[in-house]
Amino acid sequence: MNSFFLILLILFAGAGLSFALGKISSIISGTVAFLSIAAASALFFTQIEMGSFIEFSLGGIQLQWGINSYGYLFGIIVLGLGTLASLYSISYMQNKERTGGFYFNYVLVIAGMTGIIFSNDFVSFFIFWEIMTWASYLIIIYSGKNVKKIGIKYMIFSAVGAYSMLTAIVMIKGTYDTFLISEAINSGAFNFVDNIYIPILLLIGFGVKAATMPLHVWAPGAYNNAPTSFTVIFSGAMSKMGVLGMGLVLGHIFTVDRSGNLINFFSQFSVIALQQTIMWLGGITAVIGTLYALIQDDAKKLLAYSSIAQLGYITVGLATGTKLGVMAALFLAVVHGIFKGALFMVVGAVERQAGTTDMTKISGLIRKMPYTFLTALISIIALAGIPPLGGFVGKWMLYEALITESNSYFLVIVIFFSSTAAFLYSYRFLFGLFLGQEEKETEHVKEAPITMVIPMLILAVLLVITGAFPGLIFAPIAQAMEFIGFKDVTWNMSVLNNVWGNEMNLTYLGITIAVVFASIFAFLTLKGLKGTRYIGTKDISTSGEIPYDNENLTFQIDFFQPFVRAAAPMYKRSMDKIWNELGNGLEALFNFTRKIYTGNGQTYALFVVVFLVLLLLLKDTLFI
Amino acid sequence: MEDLGIKIIGALLTVVLAFTVGMTYGGIVRKLTARVQNRRGPVVWQNFLDLLKLQSKKTNVAHGFMGHMAPVWIIIAAGTVLMFIPILNGDLWFPNLTFHGDLIFLLYMMVFGSLGMALGAGQTGNPNSAIGVTRGLSQMVGFEIPFVLALVALMIQYKTTSIQDIMAIQAETGVWMMFSNPFAFLAALFASLGMFRYSPFDIVGAPAELASGPMSEFGGKYLGTMMTGGSIFAFIKLTLYVDLFMGGAGFGTGFIATIIGLGILLLKTFSLYMVPVFYGWISPRYRTEQAIRYFWGWPTALGVIAVIWAIF
Repeated sequence: MNSFFLILLILFAGAGLSFALGKISSIISGTVAFLSIAAASALFFTQIEMGSFIEFSLGGIQLQWGINSYGYLFGIIVLGLGTLASLYSISYMQNKERTGGFYFNYVLVIAGMTGIIFSNDFVSFFIFWEIMTWASYLIIIYSGKNVKKIGIKYMIFSAVGAYSMLTAIVMIKGTYDTFLISEAINSGAFNFVDNIYIPILLLIGFGVKAATMPLHVWAPGAYNNAPTSFTVIFSGAMSKMGVLGMGLVLGHIFTVDRSGNLINFFSQFSVIALQQTIMWLGGITAVIGTLYALIQDDAKKLLAYSSIAQLGYITVGLATGTKLGVMAALFLAVVHGIFKGALFMVVGAVERQAGTTDMTKISGLIRKMPYTFLTALISIIALAGIPPLGGFVGKWMLYEALITESNSYFLVIVIFFSSTAAFLYSYRFLFGLFLGQEEKETEHVKEAPITMVIPMLILAVLLVITGAFPGLIFAPIAQAMEFIGFKDVTWNMSVLNNVWGNEMNLTYLGITIAVVFASIFAFLTLKGLKGTRYIGTKDISTSGEIPYDNENLTFQIDFFQPFVRAAAPMYKRSMDKIWNELGNGLEALFNFTRKIYTGNGQTYALFVVVFLVLLLLLKDTLFI
Repeated sequence: MEDLGIKIIGALLTVVLAFTVGMTYGGIVRKLTARVQNRRGPVVWQNFLDLLKLQSKKTNVAHGFMGHMAPVWIIIAAGTVLMFIPILNGDLWFPNLTFHGDLIFLLYMMVFGSLGMALGAGQTGNPNSAIGVTRGLSQMVGFEIPFVLALVALMIQYKTTSIQDIMAIQAETGVWMMFSNPFAFLAALFASLGMFRYSPFDIVGAPAELASGPMSEFGGKYLGTMMTGGSIFAFIKLTLYVDLFMGGAGFGTGFIATIIGLGILLLKTFSLYMVPVFYGWISPRYRTEQAIRYFWGWPTALGVIAVIWAIF
C-alpha cells in the first residue's frame, strides 16, 4: 500500500481504537494514541520519498497527495512534536474522565495536520483543515468550562477563516480552472497585482490559525482552556499550519513580484503597501502578546499570550520576503515548536503535581521538580533569544534581515521592544513557578513521572543542539525555501551571515562560554565545596529582622506593577473590545432588519402592497 | 601554534586589564563621591581590599543551585562579551574574537549575566531581591529603546553591524561617530545613565529601600565573584561606547604604541564614565515608572531623529 494512505490510515485507525479503548482505561487509550502517532512518524521519516505523489479521483475531482520539501519541514514539527506530546499525554491524562473522546480528537488533529502537509490540491487541503479545526474545537471544550465564551469565539474565528479560504479556493477554480496548488501558483493565483482578493482571503484564513493581529483574540482563551498536553500541540504545531499557509502565499507574492518584473509603479507600490501592512501587523501582534503575557498570573495563560507574540515575529519574518527574513521565520517556527512545546509540558507537569498553574498560589518548586526546572530554564533562555541557544539564532537572523535587507528600521525597534519586554514575562514564569519562597502548601510536590520528564528533556536537548548547530535545521529550511521560489539559498552549519558580509560564529561563542564556565565553576565549586552550606528560604536578611516560619514573604501579586504603570496607555486599547463593539453594532443592525422582517404576515402583505403602489406610480419613469 | 599562544596570552591580558580598570574606576568613584558629600572616603584601592576579604571567607551560604550558579553566570557573560569587544584599534594583542560576533549578538549576550543574577536572586526567597529584579528588568525595557535606536542608526549609516568595521571607518575618515551622528550619541548617552545605575536610576539596588536588592543574600565568595563580574561589565560598557562613538582607541602596532593606545582608552573611558556619575551626584532617586517614562521620552525622540539622520 502507498505510504501516504498507510500513514493516514494508521492515524485514523488509532483515533478510532483509542476512542473505543477509552472506556476501559485512560492509560491504554493514551498508549494506543501514542503508538499510532509514533508509527505514523516512523513511516513518515523513513518511508516517504521527497517529491513523490499519488493521484486519484474522488467524486469527479482529481486529488493529489504528495510530499514536497516545504511540507516536509512542517512534517518534522508536527510528527516530531506530536510523538513526544502524545507520550507525555499518557501520564498527564491519567485518571481523567472521558479520555476516549480526548484521544480520539487528539489523534484526529495530528491526522488532519499530516493530511494538510500531504495535500497537493486545495480540496483535500480544505477537508483536512476542517478535520483539524473541528477536532481541536472539541478538545478546547473538553473540560466543559467556558464553552460559551471561549468555544464559540474559537468557532466563529475558525469559521470566518474557513469561509474566506473556501471563497479563495472557489475563486481560484473559477479563474484558473484548477484545484492543484502548484498549478494555481504557476498560473499566478497568488500574484497580488493580477488578483487582489485571492491572496488576501487566503491570508485571512491562515492568519486566524497563526493568531495574527487582529484575528488573534480567540487564541489565549483557547490555548488556556484545552488540556495542557494538547496545548503543546496546539501552540507548538497547529499554529504552524497557519504559518505554512502564510509562507506559501507570502513567499509567492513577494519573491515573484518584487524581484521579478516590475509592471508599473502602482503595482509595485501596492505590493509594498501590503507587505508593510502585514509586517506591522506582525510587529503589533508581538507587542500586544508580550504586554498581555507579562500581566498574567496564570502560567498557562502567560505562555498562551507569549505564543501570540512569537507568532508575530514569524509573521514579520515571512512578510519581509527576503532570504534571511524568511529563513529566520521558518527557523523560528521550528524552534518555537520546540521551546513552546517544552514550556507547555513544564506547565502541565506542574499542574499535575501541584494541582494548579496559578503563580500566586505556588512557588519555590525548584528543589522538588529539578528536571522540570531545567527544561523550563533552557526553554526560557531560547524563548528570550539569549545566546547560545536556538532562539538566539532565529532572533539574530530576524533583526539582521530587517536592518540589512528590508530597511524596516522602526519595525526593528518595535520588535526589539517586544523581545526585551519578553524578558519580563520569562522571568515571571521561572520565578512564579520555581523560585521564591518554598511554602508549606507545596511541600508534598514531587517530580513528574518519567514519561513526562523524558519528552521534556528531549526537547531541551534539541534546543541546545539547534543553538550550536543551527545548520541541522537550515538544511530542510533551505530546501523548503527553494520550493517556495527562492534561488541559491546558502547556509552554514554554525556561522550566520547577513548581506553586508558580517558574520556571527557560533562555534567560537560556544567554546568561549564552555571554557569560561568550566574554569569558573570549577573554581567556585571545587575550592569552595567544603565551605558551602545550604540554608532555606526563610533564612534571609530582612533588614536585620528574623522572619517567623508562618510569615508570608511570597512576592507574586502585581509583579510588574511599575512597568504596567509606565506602559499604562498601551494597555488601554484591546482588540477584544473592538470586536465586541463590532458584534454589538452588528446586533443593532440585525435588530433593525428585524423591523423589516418582522415574521408577521400582515407586514409582508403591507410590503407587497407598498411595492405595487410604488410600481404603479413610477411605471412611466421605469419602463419607457 | 605561536599564533594561538599570542591569542591566549592576549585573552588573559584582556581579562586582567578589564578587571583592574573596572575595579579601579569603582574605587575612584567611591572616593570622589565621598569628597562631594564632604566625607573622607575610602582609599582608591579599597575595592581590591574588599575583594580580597570576600574571597578569603571560609564559609559561604547558598540558597540552592541557582543561587550557587548566579555568580558563575555573571562571570561567563562578562568573559564572553569581553572576548567579542575590540579593546584597541588595529592591535595584535587584543583582537580576541571580535571578528566573529556583531552588535546584535552583544546586545543579547549582555543580558545573559543579568538573567543569571535574576535567577540566583529569585531563589534566595528574599522579597526585596525579587522586587529589585523586576525593577531592573523594567528599567532595562526603558533604556534599551534609545540605545537600540542609536545602534540601528550607526548600523545603517555605515552599512555594517560589526564593531570592528565601525571603528575602522571612524579611523579612516577621522570623524568620530559622536560628531557624524550626534543624535545617536546623545540617545546612547542617555541610555548609559540607566545602564550604569547611578542615581537617579539606582532603583535596582536602592539603598535604604530594598537593602541592595538582588545582591542582598549573597556574601563571601559569591559576592566577590559578582563584584569581579560587575567591574568587568563596567569596563565592557565603557569600551563599547568608546569604540562605537569616540573612534575607539589605538596608536598603531608595537609595544610603545599599545601602551599609548591604552592610555588613550583610559582617558576616553574615564571621561565617559564621569557623565553618569556626575549626573548621579546631583539627582535623587526616581520611582521605577518615572525612570521608564524618562527613557521613553526625549532619549527615544533623539534616537528616532538619529535614525532619520542616518537614513538621509
